Amino acid sequence: MAKIQYSFIFFLYIIIKCNGVNVDIISSDLKLKNVDRNIDISSQLVKITSKITLENTGRAPVKYFLYAAESVTKDNLAFVGFKDNNNKDLRLVETSVKGYDDVKFWRVELKEAVNAASTVVVMAEAVLTKALLPYPTAITQQEDQLVKFNGNLYFFSPYYVASQKTTVIVNTKSVESFTKVKPFSQQDGTISYGPYSNIGPFTEKELSIHYKNNSPFLTVTRIERLIEVSHWGNIAVEETIEIEHTGAKLKGPFSRYDYQQDHHSGPASVRSYKTLLPASAADVYYRDTNGNISTSNMKVKKDTVELDLRPRYPLFGGWRTHYTLGYNVPSYEYLYHSGNEYLLKMRVIDHIFDDMQVDELITKIILPEGSTNIKLNIPYPVSRLPDNLHYTYLDTKGRPVVSFTKRNVVENHIQDFQLRYTFPRLLMLQEPLLVVGFLYMLFLCVIIYVRLDFSIHKAEHPHKD
Amino acid sequence: MPASSVEKPLNSPNKGLFNNTAGFSTLITVTVLLLAWLAGFASRLFAVIRFESIIHEFDPWFNYRSTAYMVQHGFYNFLNWFDERAWYPLGRIVGGTVYPGLMITSGTIHWILHTLNIPIHIRDICVFLAPVFSGLTAIATYLLTSELWSRGAGLFAACFIAIVPGYSSRSVAGSYDNEGIAIFALQFTYYLWLKSVKSGSVFWSVCTALSYFYMVSAWGGYVFIINLIPLHVFVLLIMGRFSQRLFVSYTVFYIIGLLLSMQIPFVGFQPIRTSEHMAASGVFALLMAIGALKYLHSLNPKGQWKQLLILGGLLAAAAVFIAVVLLTYMGVIAPWSGRFYSLWDTGYAKIHIPIIASVSEHQPTTWSSFFFDLHVLVCTFPVGLWYCIKNINDERVFVALYALSAVYFAGVMVRLMLTLTPVVCVLAGIAFSILLDLVLREDELPIPQTESEESKSLYDKAGKLKKRAHEPTLPTDNTGLGMNVRSGILIAFMILLMLFSVHCTWATSNAYSSPSIVLASYGNDGSRKILDDFREAYGWLSQNTAEDARVMSWWDYGYQIAGMGNRTTLVDNNTWNNSHIALVGKAMASNESAAYEIMTMLDVDYVLVIFGGAIGYSGDDINKFIWMVRIAEGEHPKDIHEADYFTERGEYRVDSEASKTMLNCLMYKLSYYRYDSGGSPPGYDRTRGALPGNRGFKLTYLEEAYTTEHWLVRIYRVKKPDEFNRPRIPLAKRIISTTNAVSKKTSKRRKGLLKNKPTLVKGKKVSRLE
Amino acid sequence: MSSLTSVVPKLYQEYITKTPKKLKIIDAYLLYVFLTAVIQFVYCCLVGTFPFNSFLSGFISTVSSFVLGVCLRLQVNPENKNEFQGLSAERGFADFIFAHLVLHLVVINFIG
Repeated sequence: MAKIQYSFIFFLYIIIKCNGVNVDIISSDLKLKNVDRNIDISSQLVKITSKITLENTGRAPVKYFLYAAESVTKDNLAFVGFKDNNNKDLRLVETSVKGYDDVKFWRVELKEAVNAASTVVVMAEAVLTKALLPYPTAITQQEDQLVKFNGNLYFFSPYYVASQKTTVIVNTKSVESFTKVKPFSQQDGTISYGPYSNIGPFTEKELSIHYKNNSPFLTVTRIERLIEVSHWGNIAVEETIEIEHTGAKLKGPFSRYDYQQDHHSGPASVRSYKTLLPASAADVYYRDTNGNISTSNMKVKKDTVELDLRPRYPLFGGWRTHYTLGYNVPSYEYLYHSGNEYLLKMRVIDHIFDDMQVDELITKIILPEGSTNIKLNIPYPVSRLPDNLHYTYLDTKGRPVVSFTKRNVVENHIQDFQLRYTFPRLLMLQEPLLVVGFLYMLFLCVIIYVRLDFSIHKAEHPHKD
Repeated sequence: MPASSVEKPLNSPNKGLFNNTAGFSTLITVTVLLLAWLAGFASRLFAVIRFESIIHEFDPWFNYRSTAYMVQHGFYNFLNWFDERAWYPLGRIVGGTVYPGLMITSGTIHWILHTLNIPIHIRDICVFLAPVFSGLTAIATYLLTSELWSRGAGLFAACFIAIVPGYSSRSVAGSYDNEGIAIFALQFTYYLWLKSVKSGSVFWSVCTALSYFYMVSAWGGYVFIINLIPLHVFVLLIMGRFSQRLFVSYTVFYIIGLLLSMQIPFVGFQPIRTSEHMAASGVFALLMAIGALKYLHSLNPKGQWKQLLILGGLLAAAAVFIAVVLLTYMGVIAPWSGRFYSLWDTGYAKIHIPIIASVSEHQPTTWSSFFFDLHVLVCTFPVGLWYCIKNINDERVFVALYALSAVYFAGVMVRLMLTLTPVVCVLAGIAFSILLDLVLREDELPIPQTESEESKSLYDKAGKLKKRAHEPTLPTDNTGLGMNVRSGILIAFMILLMLFSVHCTWATSNAYSSPSIVLASYGNDGSRKILDDFREAYGWLSQNTAEDARVMSWWDYGYQIAGMGNRTTLVDNNTWNNSHIALVGKAMASNESAAYEIMTMLDVDYVLVIFGGAIGYSGDDINKFIWMVRIAEGEHPKDIHEADYFTERGEYRVDSEASKTMLNCLMYKLSYYRYDSGGSPPGYDRTRGALPGNRGFKLTYLEEAYTTEHWLVRIYRVKKPDEFNRPRIPLAKRIISTTNAVSKKTSKRRKGLLKNKPTLVKGKKVSRLE
Repeated sequence: MSSLTSVVPKLYQEYITKTPKKLKIIDAYLLYVFLTAVIQFVYCCLVGTFPFNSFLSGFISTVSSFVLGVCLRLQVNPENKNEFQGLSAERGFADFIFAHLVLHLVVINFIG
């Protein structure tokens, strides 16, 4: 039943989405005068920031322009964002263009229209996950991890690019090989390409870099984030996390001796990582199905609580671990209300480790019993899961649970959601009254029982059992 | 004292539950019992406070795993559960080979709480089940002792059993084992039995049978009840104390208890098939015969019947005995099992069943452990026993028999100390009660009042309060003692009791509250460091090996690997199949290539050994190794010889003077492979204080898969045939080995088929006393 | 042994005269139950004990009915007033019913 419901909602979602997709045409008036691209591949993510200078060669003012992602990267693309000169976010809408079915387009809406013959500068940011492939795919304990990056030498755009430059940050001197298309230069930690001039629309040319990358290749394969709101002043957060080391797999034996002798042994392995929690987080626990994981440290800093989490064992390539992390935060920081109307403002996902990549995120929000008129507002598209009920201490009709899921999440998705609901404040009295009533009934029963015990004689013994 | 004043308003309505005499004494009784419960509960929480809420030891992990299974899949699926994760490739029918009482109890609690929307995790219920039941045990003991002697003595006994180390050793939080609830069932059954003997009511004996049923479902120790109660009846008959009440209570209890006990799948038809249960049916027949004769006698009470009665009784007894012997001889009734024999002959197990002898709990008890577990009670309980025998009646015969048999069993096996503890508490309670009666006969109020204020511990209070409640009703025939002597004695006893409570707390805290899967070491500055190697290894197994990987280890760790690592094991703590264990022992004791043959035959993927040399942990596999050799030798006397593992002078050592067989066996190699850290000379074994004799060797057939931080658990992967360079084998032999490999593949699916393996030995699984 | 043969009619005489009617009814019930048990036993001897639990539950249920009947008889018997103090005949009967309830629930479960 639930499955049918779920799939129905899913279809509904698709239909809505399809209807919402616009069809655009590529305006020939626009040109990219200059593109300054910066590709950071020193961590497990590929972070591309581009400074784009847009020029309107037509006559009419242009309100928006298109951004495209080539067919190779569009599955890995976790996040796209645009900012204008004043560092303000620009609105993005997914769209499509006839004749380019395997290219993914976004329509970027500018704050102010670009007049004819004038230029505007925007900053584009894109984050790719799983774009760095370990090569070789399996290494022994002592070896360094080598990865290969395959990308596009040119800025992929539906427009004509007059001039462009690309800088790749690898943060290491040991680069095995890289694509050499003149002009290029390599100096410690960076490889620069360009400037290249007059590149046509949708041009692709392979850019391949093979280099050492020992930064932690950790993927959160699944995280379930549970937020339980109590009107008694507390919000409990619990995250159940499954992590896998997705770098080069460990080949051959693991030797504790080598690992212990030399601190640099196992360069590609992950011993520990840092998780940042909100500054007001208290009662932190870190455990798995077998109980507490005793190897962790907590540091309370000014604006955050820093957890140094050590999994039970070091993570080598292909090894997995899972754990549950939970804490409490006071509700006055996140819950606002006027009268019976409440507004909850919390993060969709919180920091797990630096440069994290999350395959699947499920966020569940448990509201107090009796909440109604629930409205959810999230800054980026997610798929909403069917609401259900949750029963816990002293519940009678269950607490509403709002849940949604998203795939391929990175740090840029750490943003607040807003959840509005109505809750009659009188209902807060329900639970204490329930306890009082129960105790009252209990005492009453005992009193009656004791009285009866005095009055009735032998015959009631058999029924006593 | 503020505690009791707080309790008062809360408990006053409850008094009707215990008795109908209104007023002060009831209030005190309830308060003391409640405090005893609290004290017992609190003193068992050391492990939770020091470490965390976690299941301890080995067997509890199995109980926890099957409870979790039951909660998840429902009761009927649990009863039909075939666990293919254990005893690979045989599997284990769990539903038919466990006492399900424990799982059902916590499953029921879990179900009730969840229908009330109280979402407590099943693990927490399991962890706290034993401490909660210790409170129920205290109440049952109180009832039993009040039935025997007086309510005052009952309060003493309840307070004793709440904190006595002999019982708390088996019921600390996290030790989720059968004994935790079984002692309650035991005491409660005995209470109901005495109640039914006293009243002769069918109702009470049916209740006894139901309580006995619970005990049967909970623990193999129910055999103790089903032999002790008939013994009681038999002794009463010999003493000429036959009464119709006895007839009613025993016959009803026996016949309904018999039927009920056969409802437990694990027990099955044993109650009518095995010798352990025959005494009960014999006494039943005897009682019927005597009852019939008595009845005839009552119809015509003339002198000639007297002899006939005695003659008839003797004839009936003889007939029953001969029938049982005959049936045993004919094989209808199984003879006593090995475990049972080992109770009579302490040397039996060592010779015939090394697997029983290898468990430290099955060793004979030392004198010091009597004192350690019972402290002052061990000295005072004979006093209570003497008083019971002096003022004998039907019930006190029972407690005397209980005490005598329990003392014997406790002397034979350490773990049976558990059955002795309750009766010692009962009798010591009686002794203390008598003593205080004696001392405080006249001046009741002033002394207890002052005492109670100066001593804080709970059981002291119990003593005082009790005597006050009780004193007027029990006048003793002693002459008065001098005032000073009295207060002297009183103070001396209070100090004794105080020492007792201090000892109990200390013993529980230091000796019995270690989870044993989490170790703690203390630095020079008193800082505590937690060694979490076991969970590290099991966590690694559960996450980073194939779902159906088979892990070979010594049987001690079988339950933990299944419970925490969630992987298939070859042998585990349910040691029902000796030959399978011997095969694993043989693999550990052979050299690498011979072991590899056994391991491929058993489809082993990983081998797990415990090695304590790096941190000085003494319970590791090298120290247990000699038992593996012995058990393996028992089944494979041609291949394994215990003497080969000792030096020529008969010493067991691991350094360069150790025997060649020892230095090349699999267990040795797996323990010391690439072990070069540790103490000041690298590779020094801190547990055995020696430098290993064979170092720097290479492994051909296995590779290190994981070793925990402190080297405590080492896991090796068994290489597949194509992964290693095989040592040169003559051509002829090579052909044989390939055909073997092929046949192994095809027969892989067939459960229970092992090459070179003797037929399964039956008879080991009957009546485990645990 | 000759005394024994002479005793039996005497006993019968005693029984007829001394026993109250209530107890005779119970005795008739006991005899019936006893005969049932004997028939079951003979049947199992002849045919075999194949569904062993069914045989056992049947047999034990008759034995326990017999035992319970005897207990009831003992408790109801006015001669035994001193033995069972505080147990009235009604109480005895209530206990009897309670015990049968437990017994037959188990038997039904066991008979398979």
